[in-house]
Amino acid sequence: MNFEVRNGSFSYARGSEKILDNVSFSVNSGEILAILGPNGAGKTTLLRCMMGFLDWTEGSSLIDGKPISEISRRQMWNRIGYVPQARGYSASGTILELVLLGRASRIDLFKNPSESDISSAMNSLDQMGIRSLWNKNADQVSGGELQLALIAKALAGKPELLIMDEPESNLDFRNQLKVMEMIQKLASNGYSCIFNTHYPAHALRYGTHSLLLEKRGSALYGLSGTVVNENNLEKAFGVKTAIREIETDSRCFLDVLPIETAEKKRNEPTFWEREENMESRLAIVAIIIENRDAVERINSLLHEVSSYIIGRMGMPYEKKGVSIITVVMDAPQDIIAALSGKLGQLPDVSIKTTYSKV
Amino acid sequence: MNKNKIIRPIAYLAIPLALAFASLSIGRFSVPIDKVFSILFQGDQSDRMMANVIWSIRLPRITLAILVGAGLSVSGLAFQSLFSNPLATPDTLGVASGSSLGAIVSLMAGLSLVSTQLVAMSFGLLAIAATYFASRRKGERSLVDIILTGIIIGSLCNSLISLAKFLANPETQLPAITYYLMGSLASANWSTLRIGAVPIGAGCIVLYLIRWRLNILELDEDEAMATGTDVRMLRLVTIMCATVITASCVSMSGQVGWVGLLVPHIARMMLGNDNQKLVPATLSIGAAFMLVVDTAARSIIGTEIPISILTSIVGAPFFISLIRRKGGRLS
Repeated sequence: MNFEVRNGSFSYARGSEKILDNVSFSVNSGEILAILGPNGAGKTTLLRCMMGFLDWTEGSSLIDGKPISEISRRQMWNRIGYVPQARGYSASGTILELVLLGRASRIDLFKNPSESDISSAMNSLDQMGIRSLWNKNADQVSGGELQLALIAKALAGKPELLIMDEPESNLDFRNQLKVMEMIQKLASNGYSCIFNTHYPAHALRYGTHSLLLEKRGSALYGLSGTVVNENNLEKAFGVKTAIREIETDSRCFLDVLPIETAEKKRNEPTFWEREENMESRLAIVAIIIENRDAVERINSLLHEVSSYIIGRMGMPYEKKGVSIITVVMDAPQDIIAALSGKLGQLPDVSIKTTYSKV
Repeated sequence: MNKNKIIRPIAYLAIPLALAFASLSIGRFSVPIDKVFSILFQGDQSDRMMANVIWSIRLPRITLAILVGAGLSVSGLAFQSLFSNPLATPDTLGVASGSSLGAIVSLMAGLSLVSTQLVAMSFGLLAIAATYFASRRKGERSLVDIILTGIIIGSLCNSLISLAKFLANPETQLPAITYYLMGSLASANWSTLRIGAVPIGAGCIVLYLIRWRLNILELDEDEAMATGTDVRMLRLVTIMCATVITASCVSMSGQVGWVGLLVPHIARMMLGNDNQKLVPATLSIGAAFMLVVDTAARSIIGTEIPISILTSIVGAPFFISLIRRKGGRLS
């Protein structure tokens, strides 16, 4: 499915200061959109507007091109699953009772959950790997487990798009990773995901696309690698950052290191720099794939940047059971960096990017 | 799990029924239990006095006890879901005080019992409407606003009740008002029941049908809307049912406090917090509880003890322990 926000603006009263100003984006199956911005920039307002909890002052949200105002609430929530923040979440029942509520849009008004609803709920607990918790009270499990249960609750309704409000905030190291890996897994199974986050590194690493909001409500949307760069982060957050690659044995990660707070110029309009390094460069991206399943995923990533590819070679090497792909690109450096970042995160994939000196 | 599905409904019906038969036989004028059965089911008129006590005094009173007990308890449960607050009671929205005020006004005006009920019911609805509209701010209302406004409306109604008592004729009207406020099922008769049973029954049936959806009310506003349910409608239906039940109960039995708090929590201790299970349990336990309390009220000592006194002797310590153990949370 495709979920789109077209020219969305929002202010609490007509004529008063805009909280969101002309925001547009689109999410397709298998894509992950990270919404990034400083406190008070309207991340939560954006989430509430896009789902129709608040009405856009201008613009609209669309599902497969159809405005959500023309879709019945029930039909809409059959396709969208909402995952609230686990922080401060209060639930009184057991985990299973909680997850069953995710089936509500598929249960008739005067009906109770049937056996098949219960088995759907158990299946989504399975999917999250927390089946054994079904009988526990929701207020007795850990924050990470509760977050997974809330995702399971959204999944129980069999949606196509998940919208998550800061799914990894307030979780420890391991649980953050667990939740984010789960989101990545869901996207590779064809779900669309939208999540709010405080962490630029998460947007860069997990988001196929990012939307960067700044205090005055303007937004920049695009491929994560092109949106989340040092310049734009300084403009949105008022923080000088360094974005660097970290290589492990077989993978390559982009990390965002905050360096120091920078002076923010208050009333100056923000000029986003989408493609900061517009100067195009020549690069060879060499990829070794140890797992055939990853080939399709890589092809779709390459397809997104096909207009920049000037040469391509692919060959299987049966003796070692691997495939080798080499791509020659003529593209802005950010695009190349975004691609190699994305490729580097895939499991069983080794990659190396070589830039020309010119 | 499956065994529970069969045993529970049977127990829910059997326990109040057994208690009802027991309280038909208990009282200052004792009727042996076999006599109760023969009078009820075989039309035994051999002892006119006994038959009269059973048919026109105890049976309507016991029916009223069942209705008021089940009704106040389930509306208490509904209000708790509505506010995600374990301390919410039918009094929270000012409904109970509003209904009492209506009943007292019509007592003073010397209206018939049936009119008294209708006036009490409309005052109850008026109070909830006042709460509903006064709590609106910028087109939105938060649950905290509703509950605070409800308490304000409730205390306004109580002041007006005090004014009514102040103005009432101390020889004739004041004792009746005071006695009414303490709560009693003694005035039960078939003609008032015929009027009062319909709204109580209808409200209970609707709440029973939407019992699983009551869980959705406990969710956060956004999350509740994300279930695809028309939350505003669900909330409105729940408020209406709970209000109509409360107003009808109050108009027939006066202010019977604590039941709406005590019974749902007894059920929670046994079954957890799933309203799907809690609604039937609350209806049953509420009826049983009120039967026991009312039977005690009319048979412990020579004269009848107002029910509210008994329920608060049980209720107040329970309420305090609830606050100490759980603070403001449901579970």
